[in-house]
Amino acid sequence: MELTVPEVSAHPIANLLPALGRFVHGDVATVHQIFGGPISGDAFLLLDIDGAARLVDLLTDAGAPTKQMGASAREVLGEVGNILLNACLGVFGDLLQIRFTFAVPRLHLEALGSMLDSLVIGRDELSHALVVGTLFRVRASEVTGCLVLVLGFTSLDRFLREIENWAARATTQS
Amino acid sequence: MAKILIVDDSSLSRRISRRILEEAGHSVREAADGLSALEQYATDRPDMVLLDVTMTEMNGLEVLEQLRMMDSTACVVMATADVQTSTKTLSEAGGAVGFVLKPLTSKAVLLAVDAALAGQGATQ
Repeated sequence: MELTVPEVSAHPIANLLPALGRFVHGDVATVHQIFGGPISGDAFLLLDIDGAARLVDLLTDAGAPTKQMGASAREVLGEVGNILLNACLGVFGDLLQIRFTFAVPRLHLEALGSMLDSLVIGRDELSHALVVGTLFRVRASEVTGCLVLVLGFTSLDRFLREIENWAARATTQS
Repeated sequence: MAKILIVDDSSLSRRISRRILEEAGHSVREAADGLSALEQYATDRPDMVLLDVTMTEMNGLEVLEQLRMMDSTACVVMATADVQTSTKTLSEAGGAVGFVLKPLTSKAVLLAVDAALAGQGATQ
């Protein structure tokens, strides 16, 4: 699997729908991973239904993509999301020298707007989302998707401070 | 051939691990959560446990602690998508003798399993 250079942007939650609309439309497949620790939030992998079906088809050699997400397709998507989200958050954790804990990932299939309405991050008030959009290329087929980190005020503030700390460490070392 | 208990809440991951281990000639049992794993371990006393980290109710690190309290010689290899260095460090501190990252490949799993069974341990 190849990834294009990701586009990274930050958005207030209220502006998230149009921001994500650049990547996906209509019904979407999302794999959510709630994470805790010094920084907590909801990280999710977002694919449109066609892209999700194509990805499952490519990974399983099923022969023909179908939008009917059966149990087997859901398992594959959930595992792909689990691996990608853990990789992304794990690298953040190591870079920023903080430890995340993870809840079990959950797959949702619904309209983009409904999915955004259902975002919950415990008691920490929703604030901003960090969107990492990229193109996956699997065996000459392209699937567009993005990874989204939704953070509350407290976590966003801590996240930015930890990034500044990391930048200071990195420039001191180089 | 060893008797190996796979502990993972993902049935897909359990199937992948089972295929890899059975093709290598091992005998496999499965548990989908920590409590079931502890019960099966007490009953079957497998030679090795292949243990996921992120699970409902009890996570893998908690299961590892309980297993080692039950049997201080328990041979445990962690198999997880959690790439954090701190997770690997905590696993080793808890007594795990191997650490394999998902997506699981035959080569990585068998390397870790063989090393663990030989008493050497191997991590990615």
